[in-house]
Amino acid sequence: MTASALPRPDRGERSRRLLPVLTGFLLLLLWELGVKAKLPAYVATPTTILSAIPSVITTGGFWSDVESTCGAIVEGVAIGSVAGAAVGLVMGRVREVGWFLTPYIRGLYALPLIALVPVLVLLVGYNDTTRLVVVILSAFLPVAVTTSDGARAVRKEYLDVGRAFGARSHQVWFGIALPSSLPHIMAGIDIGLGRAFTSAVAVEVLASVNGLGYTLYADSQSLHDSASFVNVVALAIFAVGVRFGVRVLSRSFAPWYQPKEVVA
Amino acid sequence: MATADHAIARRLASFRERRARWIQPACHLLSLALLVGTWQAIGNDFGILFVPFTKTMETLVALMENGSIPAALLVSGKIYVLTLVIDVVLGIAVGLMLARIRWFAAAWEPYVYLLYTTPTVALVPLAFTIFGFGTGPQTLIAVIISVFPVVFGVMEGTRSIPRQYLDVATSYGSSESQLWRDVVMPYVTPFVMTGVRQTIALALVGTLVAEFFLNTVGIVGLLAEGATEMNPSQVLAVTVVVSLIAIVLVGVGELIERALVPWRYETVG
Repeated sequence: MTASALPRPDRGERSRRLLPVLTGFLLLLLWELGVKAKLPAYVATPTTILSAIPSVITTGGFWSDVESTCGAIVEGVAIGSVAGAAVGLVMGRVREVGWFLTPYIRGLYALPLIALVPVLVLLVGYNDTTRLVVVILSAFLPVAVTTSDGARAVRKEYLDVGRAFGARSHQVWFGIALPSSLPHIMAGIDIGLGRAFTSAVAVEVLASVNGLGYTLYADSQSLHDSASFVNVVALAIFAVGVRFGVRVLSRSFAPWYQPKEVVA
Repeated sequence: MATADHAIARRLASFRERRARWIQPACHLLSLALLVGTWQAIGNDFGILFVPFTKTMETLVALMENGSIPAALLVSGKIYVLTLVIDVVLGIAVGLMLARIRWFAAAWEPYVYLLYTTPTVALVPLAFTIFGFGTGPQTLIAVIISVFPVVFGVMEGTRSIPRQYLDVATSYGSSESQLWRDVVMPYVTPFVMTGVRQTIALALVGTLVAEFFLNTVGIVGLLAEGATEMNPSQVLAVTVVVSLIAIVLVGVGELIERALVPWRYETVG
């Protein structure tokens, strides 16, 4: 199909594209005027945030914060996802292992990880290892849960075909069970990423670990709200980017599968 | 090689067949016993930073008897229930509007998704400098953290009702109320319940996060008190309570879903 054959956007469609831009503008305007009219001067508005950007990103601390927080999230989610997929696969394929581990995996999955921070701080200490442990858990648990669901639900026909052609057990595991659980693994990683951001920020604040979360907390405590908000924006950009990337990846791995929306 | 493989598989299968009834509870029990046993065994290896299982249980009983855990649960429970009620009401309202009102969806949907993808916990410190402390701001934070699964559940469910269902119902003369009761509600309920189940768990996250950023008298207050006073038995005891609550809440969510959407559980194997 050539470009000229594509339908041109009619007026209704163009206004539908324009509407979000308008709402966004209106939101920013309301925010600006509302804060100016009602709230104390330290409260951030779009213009004060914009003008705070240069001074925040030129301080040395900002980029090391970005590296520290984003690095811990990438590292932790990578470790947690691989481990979660491995454990989930075994749980799904070997019933007894599933029964043995389910109480822990489901129990920890139900528990808000933020509640574990005080215990971990006691055991691991007030340092970035605690953050890494919590981020790993944030990704590990959802990936293990979704993968075990996926591995349990491998279609019987696939297994029958494998058996009929004399597949060895490693071929069944890595050739059939793993690929057919892939959409579930990706869905788990998506959930895990959402949780990892919350965990990383929460641990930084609660255990005083340097990073974007700690800096934005400290800034807001000293009433530097605009500077604080620049960190929030940086975190949000990274979060949206990474999760979008994972969605694109999972669509190319498993185009038929729509990940379930879960956060925390 | 392959035949040996199959022989093992066959023997395993027949073992499973014969022992099927007691093997599952045995696995659960064994794993719990292992946890408690390990906890008890290594309990004293961390010096003053950790305590064995039995010591934790003693502290738990003491905290229950002197009323500090029940009092804290009451405070946190109020925020939790308030958050959950707002989540469901607001989530259904916003979800329906996003699904049914075209201009509203066009204008707001990108921002709802943006807020959902943003780690909202980062907004918590800022929210407190603006709104101050207390139950109101705390509930606000908890709602922002936990409302989205209901919104998206209702939105997706309502948008995906097949046109034919509505057409058939109207051509057989369904009134608007019959349409809602017999077509829309049954179709949307599974989607809504998926969202509500997640929100039941997330509202607890929201409540705890909101409490963590304030020194409250709620359940997190007890946790923080134990941590700052280097009192590991209190930290562990309260963590056990929070874990049990979380597990019970997830179980309740599943029970509600099972009651309202029984067909979902029939095909899972």
